[in-house]
Amino acid sequence: MADVAPVLTIEASHKSRGAAYYAWHRFLANKGAVFAGVLLLLILLVAVFAPFLTGVGPNEQKYLTSALAFPSAEHWFGIDDLGRDYFTRIIHGARVSISIGLAAASFSVLIGLPLGAIAGYFGGTIDWFIMRIIEIFSVVPPLLAALLLAALTKGGYFNIVLIAALFGWVQVCLMVRAQVMAFRNKEFIRAAQALGGSTWYIILRHIIPNSISPIIVGFVLAIPLAMMLEAGLSFLGVGIPPPTPSWGQMINLGINFMFFYWHLALFPTLALAITVLVVTMFGDGLRDALDPTLKGR
Amino acid sequence: MIGYVVRRLLSISVTFIVVSILVFIMMHAIPGGPFDATEMPVSEAVRAKIMAQYGLDQPLYVQYLKYMWGVLHFDFGVPFQSPGETVIELLSRAWVPSLVLGGAGVLIGAPLGIALGLYAALNRNSWIDYLASAVATLGLTVPVFVTSMLLILVFAVWLGWLPASGWGSPRNWILPIVAYAAIPLATYARYTRSAMLDTLNKPFVTVLRAKGLSERDVIFKHVLRNSAIPMVTVFLPMFIGTATGSIFVEAMFRVPGLGAYFVSSIESRDYPLEMALVFIITLMFCIAYFLADIAYAMLNPRIRLGGR
Repeated sequence: MADVAPVLTIEASHKSRGAAYYAWHRFLANKGAVFAGVLLLLILLVAVFAPFLTGVGPNEQKYLTSALAFPSAEHWFGIDDLGRDYFTRIIHGARVSISIGLAAASFSVLIGLPLGAIAGYFGGTIDWFIMRIIEIFSVVPPLLAALLLAALTKGGYFNIVLIAALFGWVQVCLMVRAQVMAFRNKEFIRAAQALGGSTWYIILRHIIPNSISPIIVGFVLAIPLAMMLEAGLSFLGVGIPPPTPSWGQMINLGINFMFFYWHLALFPTLALAITVLVVTMFGDGLRDALDPTLKGR
Repeated sequence: MIGYVVRRLLSISVTFIVVSILVFIMMHAIPGGPFDATEMPVSEAVRAKIMAQYGLDQPLYVQYLKYMWGVLHFDFGVPFQSPGETVIELLSRAWVPSLVLGGAGVLIGAPLGIALGLYAALNRNSWIDYLASAVATLGLTVPVFVTSMLLILVFAVWLGWLPASGWGSPRNWILPIVAYAAIPLATYARYTRSAMLDTLNKPFVTVLRAKGLSERDVIFKHVLRNSAIPMVTVFLPMFIGTATGSIFVEAMFRVPGLGAYFVSSIESRDYPLEMALVFIITLMFCIAYFLADIAYAMLNPRIRLGGR
């Protein structure tokens, strides 16, 4: 009995570590990304619990008598021109911005993943065809085309998500395609083919699980792009229509008041800048941690 | 090389035609137009007359072909929002502010960015390296209108040094130029730095140093030249970023340039102006794309000989 225990401890200390363990430690070594991640978590918590953090709703014109009031202890970010608590509107703006980012990134993966996997695995004519579609997207500037589409479809939450996904899938597709092409001729794929695995079986069971890093990275990097797109379109008045609070829309409002009531311009600008920055830094850190070879691609 | 140029030219032309057809269909497929009953309450007969006058009653492919025929003769039609002049006349007025501000922004931002990236790569982990990384991250992630807003708040509203908007005197130009310059500055700072670091770690640099070449010759004669390729590649995204940024910079600083007209043409459903702008911008991007490909092939024989 006594001589069994040491054997067990030796085995435990030589436990093989998974890829996730090393990725996690690479991520922790990146101070900037960790800081961004913590800040992002904080912003996410504020966004999720926004309705419970302040006593009023984002569209309640409860303080009309003190409209345009400057920031105070009671109203941290002041009151806007229609008598709404500006702090409440900013944190509800985070819900809009982040949820659009997540939804658009999900749709981007939904489009980009299958197309990238197919293009990378089959090559040839299919690959050529998909690459020509991507070439069209790379010649058309995303923001201009998105602006046109948003104006034609009259904006709105769901349209913005679709438009952002329409221009977000290209990057995911290219990353997945590159990964799949690198794996296509590896021995284990050859072995699966030799054993009679069907094409779909190989793609679903071998190709896609091995492309999980570029998929996660593509997903995370698509989020800030969609957020910026939403803010830009709302800023130009073709994105999220009022009264739904959106930071881009609030910045546009802020321009009209900036010389006298600077708080209306400053707070949404800072909220947008900090959130986009934090998401991008987190995404970059995640990319470097998950797959160092993707760096700078 | 000539074969490669012709192949790229053909590919770009096809892309351009496909884009033009897509834009044309998109613009006409979605309901609502400038002469709808809600926009212009006139009788049916009068509306039919107006539609016929602008050729909006013909089948779509006829309209497209007619339009393209006009484009070949530099005839983009008459803008709905100012019928006294042609689209070309309006645009020849509008591109001046965009070019002056955007051009100055690129001419100031790009060399500054290259210098910053170069210095950062040569002095890794110094404070200037961190500064370069911070500038690059901020400039590439924060949208242009946010940068513009902060510039206006600080220099126009709080310090009161510069005017916040307008296009009268050169004093009005300073803030928009700084806002424009942020994009090329950030892009070039990041890519110059990473390209230089990549090259500096290559074995041939060690050989050059071992040979006893002066550090100045190593950097300027060898490393810089071998880092040029990524800098050429990045020109295209930088150009697109600056051109797209013009919409926001011009909206923010109230500059009457191409970007501002793009927004107003979209708001008023001004088809001729909108189409012309989309066409010109897409054509500009196609040319930039083509030139970047050619420059890339000239610098890197593997591309043109590999046959894409």
